[in-house]
Amino acid sequence: MEFNKRIYLILLLLVALWCAGIVLAPCLSSVLPGVSAFLYSFYSPICHQIDARSFHLFGEKIGVCSRCSAIYFGFLVSVALYPFFRKLRSPAFPKNHWIALAVLPMLIDVAANFVGIHDSSLLTRAITGLLFGLILPFYIIPPLLEGIAQLRDQQLAQGGFFYARKTQ
Amino acid sequence: MPEKPNKFRIALISGIVIGVVSSVPGVSLINCCCCAGVWLGGVLAMYLYKQQFTEGMPPLESSDALMLGLMAGVIGAFTATCINILILVTFGPVEAELVKSIVGNMLDRLSEQGSMPSDMVETLKEQIDQSIKDAGRMSNIFGGLFITLIVYPIFTILGALLGYAIFRPKTPPQTTQA
Repeated sequence: MEFNKRIYLILLLLVALWCAGIVLAPCLSSVLPGVSAFLYSFYSPICHQIDARSFHLFGEKIGVCSRCSAIYFGFLVSVALYPFFRKLRSPAFPKNHWIALAVLPMLIDVAANFVGIHDSSLLTRAITGLLFGLILPFYIIPPLLEGIAQLRDQQLAQGGFFYARKTQ
Repeated sequence: MPEKPNKFRIALISGIVIGVVSSVPGVSLINCCCCAGVWLGGVLAMYLYKQQFTEGMPPLESSDALMLGLMAGVIGAFTATCINILILVTFGPVEAELVKSIVGNMLDRLSEQGSMPSDMVETLKEQIDQSIKDAGRMSNIFGGLFITLIVYPIFTILGALLGYAIFRPKTPPQTTQA
């Protein structure tokens, strides 16, 4: 299997695991409360986890708030669909204005809610977060694949970590 | 040919910024939005690193973003933990109290509007009180360090990669060897 494809599959697996943890936190609360508590703690440094601002599963809030979950699940969907839109072999960077356009609705939603001219709801948070999450992989995957390939080449040149694999 | 700029100095500056932003009560609430303080720290690291490049140096590469993000994240996690301990020892659980007042007001409002039953509001307030009591425990501090040592580097790497995508040299990307 091509090196870039392997790295892409590992990334997809890690993102899927990250999203699975978000959903598993409420699902395991009655079966494995210790694991569920760990998952909530794991996501606590990155999200306020306020009950009223979160989606619920089986009566329990999921691991992160609605905006964060929309970003992560949007990211997952976009990573999964990435090979249909871009080549993994020669990753191309999109223009910078797309990321600005994707982040703008979220910033407006947050700012308008903060100053009190609009009440952000679960729906507005989810939609604006989803938009950002869907765009992000197109900026992350190309340098990630390129960067890991460069690290591998540097290691190969030094006869390091990837050397044994290459010689097999 | 001159070598690339030193990554450690930039990672140290960015890591300290991440640590301060993530631990100063009030300011650290920025991380409630998908760890924004941390991944913006990754973007900052990439921006600062790009500024160090001068004519004749080898070009900025995506592998630089990966390494820089990783280093900034690890330094940020340690800095944030140290500042948290310092604040906890000096002032007590200030941030937890701040969150308690914000969430408490929100819960009261929801209860008054009838959107949330009052017994649920009380349960949530008890949970917040418990988390304030637990905040000073050593197990919580080291548990927090363990989690941030995983989470912060992930987000700083993402931030640095995003920074690279934004600030990269405007030449066509090289086709990587398959």
